[in-house]
Amino acid sequence: MQRVPITLTVNGRSISAEVEARMTLADFLREQLGLTGTKLGCEHGVCGSCTVLWDGAAVRSCLVLAAQADGANLTTIEGLATGEAMHPVQQAFWEHHGLQCGFCTPGMVLTAVALLEENPAPSEEEIREALSGNLCRCTGYQNIVRAVRAAAEQMQAGRGS
Amino acid sequence: MTLQILPRGKWVGARVKRVEDPRFLTGEARYLADIQIPGTVHAAFVRSPYGHARIRRIETSAAEALPGVIAVYTAEDVAALPPLASGLPIEGLKPTPQSVLAKDKVRFVGEAVAVVVAENRYIAEDAAELVEVEYEPLPAVTHAERAMAADAPILHEDLGTNVVYQKVTTLGDVEGAFAQADRVFRRRFHTNRFVASPMETRGCLSVYERASGQLTFYSSTQMPHMLRLFLSLFLGIPEHKVRVISPEVGGGFGQKMTIYPEEVVIAYLGKVLGRPVKWVEDRWENLAAATHAKEQIIELEAAVRADGKVLGMKARLIGDGGAYSFNTASALIEPLAAAGIVPGVYDIAAYQHEVIAVCTNKAPVGAFRAVGWTAAQTARELFFDEIARELGLDPAEFRRRNLISEFPHTTVTGMVYDSGSYRESLERALQLVGYDELRRRQAELRQQGRYLGIGISLYVEPTAWGSEIALQAGFPFPSHDNATVTIDPTGKVRVAVSVHSHGQGHETTLAQVAAEILGVSIDDVIVEHGDTERAPWGMGTYASRSAVIGGGMVALAAQEVREKVLRVASRLLEVAPEDLEIQDGTVFVRGAPDRSLSMFQVAFAAYLDGRVRAEGEEPLLSATKFYDPRATYSNGCIVTVCEVDGETGLVRLDKIVAVEDCGTMLNPMIVEGQVMGAIAQGIGGALYEAMVYDENGQLLTDSFVTYALPTATEVPELVIDHLETPSPVTIGGIKGIGEGGLLASPASVAGAVLDAIWPAGRAIEELPLTPERVLGALQKQGGA
Repeated sequence: MQRVPITLTVNGRSISAEVEARMTLADFLREQLGLTGTKLGCEHGVCGSCTVLWDGAAVRSCLVLAAQADGANLTTIEGLATGEAMHPVQQAFWEHHGLQCGFCTPGMVLTAVALLEENPAPSEEEIREALSGNLCRCTGYQNIVRAVRAAAEQMQAGRGS
Repeated sequence: MTLQILPRGKWVGARVKRVEDPRFLTGEARYLADIQIPGTVHAAFVRSPYGHARIRRIETSAAEALPGVIAVYTAEDVAALPPLASGLPIEGLKPTPQSVLAKDKVRFVGEAVAVVVAENRYIAEDAAELVEVEYEPLPAVTHAERAMAADAPILHEDLGTNVVYQKVTTLGDVEGAFAQADRVFRRRFHTNRFVASPMETRGCLSVYERASGQLTFYSSTQMPHMLRLFLSLFLGIPEHKVRVISPEVGGGFGQKMTIYPEEVVIAYLGKVLGRPVKWVEDRWENLAAATHAKEQIIELEAAVRADGKVLGMKARLIGDGGAYSFNTASALIEPLAAAGIVPGVYDIAAYQHEVIAVCTNKAPVGAFRAVGWTAAQTARELFFDEIARELGLDPAEFRRRNLISEFPHTTVTGMVYDSGSYRESLERALQLVGYDELRRRQAELRQQGRYLGIGISLYVEPTAWGSEIALQAGFPFPSHDNATVTIDPTGKVRVAVSVHSHGQGHETTLAQVAAEILGVSIDDVIVEHGDTERAPWGMGTYASRSAVIGGGMVALAAQEVREKVLRVASRLLEVAPEDLEIQDGTVFVRGAPDRSLSMFQVAFAAYLDGRVRAEGEEPLLSATKFYDPRATYSNGCIVTVCEVDGETGLVRLDKIVAVEDCGTMLNPMIVEGQVMGAIAQGIGGALYEAMVYDENGQLLTDSFVTYALPTATEVPELVIDHLETPSPVTIGGIKGIGEGGLLASPASVAGAVLDAIWPAGRAIEELPLTPERVLGALQKQGGA
């Protein structure tokens, strides 16, 4: 099996590795780097559980090969909090009961982070649209939408001060 | 002493944020697939591409020759393992044993035929493709009624029939009711087969230590102790040498409460190979081979008086059980459960039901949130809507005229409704949605050729699945659980429970119960579950039982520990235990708060100061209590407002109002979460989700592209409101609420659609209400 050398940044750390050409980015993160916070729910790009941030944009790591990530700057769920302090989106999910089983949560949170980066004050409709590529089977989405709205307000207030 | 009332103080009833959340939010939570044990090898199953076929030959040599492959196993190699079969003690139920790997025949697409073990999953999957299975395809049958025909292909030849159960039961004076009726109505529905589809698929990891003969089995299961019991029996490993660990579980909804053939195979492979063996299924496997649910053909008849009073009912319920009848209480799980709940919240004095369970070439059916009840509720509520309209009555008014209003009420099917707020929940929901105004608006829009619809689904939910309710629901199997509450020497509290949390938030709610009774902060309580070595024995989590049973057993155990604490403190403070109180982790003399001890001081003394111990007392501040609650029934009403596009048949949901009553709420935030999540699943079931097989038994909906779950854009605004009628028969008055949302929302959503297009929808028999079906009905109406 052909092996490919890659160098990339994950959660602020520079990493050089050799990967099998066919290994997905999700498997690389999970199996080789031990970053198991990235979840695999369908492995065909529908559920969004494997979402990571690639230069700030939400990307499905089950549809990308690790070899393609050479030079990428990635953030996984493990890299979102600053020390003990959770990111405002994580905090808002906690406050608003935006998770139950937690399996879709890393992907949901990172998708929301990417949305708020691009659109700091989204409408409810824009939030729902942005999240519509991520499946959740537990919550019925309402509390997730509330959490994202609350996080947006929190982050805006933070910027204002 | 029985603790009848759980005090409501600082913790019980409060919207406490979940203590378990941070580890999920930061990616630290470890699910089955995340557990990495050195030396682990990986399994991939070879699965049947045919719905029905004879296995002629299996050639494994090419797979075995692939570098990295460790072993390939077929049915012959696992002959030591007994087949899976239902142990339900119901007379007339025919057994359909399933070999853990298919032997001689395959009976559904996705049935496991062989398993490959390799150094990694990539190689295992490569090798699985190299296993050559020669099949002789057989005619398949994928429709329950066709499977009952004399000339139908037979799945289990030794039975000579596909019908594994058929029984007519007559309750009350059914003939008399129909003789007295002014009108008799009939209606048939074919409810769709849809699936739990937890975001985390199934998976397991078998670690066997040869020297000690100890099996540690990790599985994404809802019921660790039951799995331990079955693995011990299937593998012949003594139960005390089997440990089951259910780590974080990414949703279950009933799908993970069965014992799967894959689990038995993987457990066995770990033992025979002497290396940890891991299997994590992919989504295709989950959709094809994990249990399906909710498909029934239900024919209803109602004997109705001119004023709208229903005098009697008849129901014929055919459960399409799929290929094998063993998962979670056999293929009866759908139609028998449904039969019991057909009367629902209505006062029906006479009722006859015929329950039929049939095998077809589809995935076996198992539990999925409100199993059986969703189909029955959907059929009855849609039927009642139509009867109301035929009688010229408003559907809400028709319901009022038939509601049960006095409690306790014993239904004609033998369920004892302990308490409830049926009428209040209906009126509250109608008021919240603005019903009268909506009806006016509906009439206006109809004039303009627009289709607004309102659907009402009024439900009762059997909860607290203990022995009594199991019997009342038709499944005679004992059911109870245990909690151990312990205060350690430094005064911190450990609560170990046999119920398992896979999203329900038990680590918070059960800690609230313990904190309330012990007078400590929730921060000083930890709840352990999911490991048979840390939790006491019990059945696990399913059937809306964990708040009632879990809450009750923790309350009982905590109460006993509290009494121990007070005894020790009374000796230290030299007062009677009755004169002591505990608040915020401090034990003090009532009226003299300066005479106090911290929980640390009391616990430390209990363990390490023999003088505070009376003759015969134990130093441990610990108690284990079991709880097998009386039957209790929650209730509620879900009202949906929708608009149907007459051009496309597309349904737009505008709003869903859900009023629920689950008695005493431990944590309203979590109750709301349960209700909202279940409603979203019901929206999927009513409008989008269906497992579709073609005539040859080929599964056509085998990915998330073809099997469509609702997303954030399909779920409308959900308005949740609570009524609280405490149960008079359970500890603390708690009732369950896990399933009500899915029990009732498909009827509400589908009811709204049929209401919108009335009378065109009369011709619709099959769910879900896809645009094709809705448009078809409208066009048929237009053409007629």
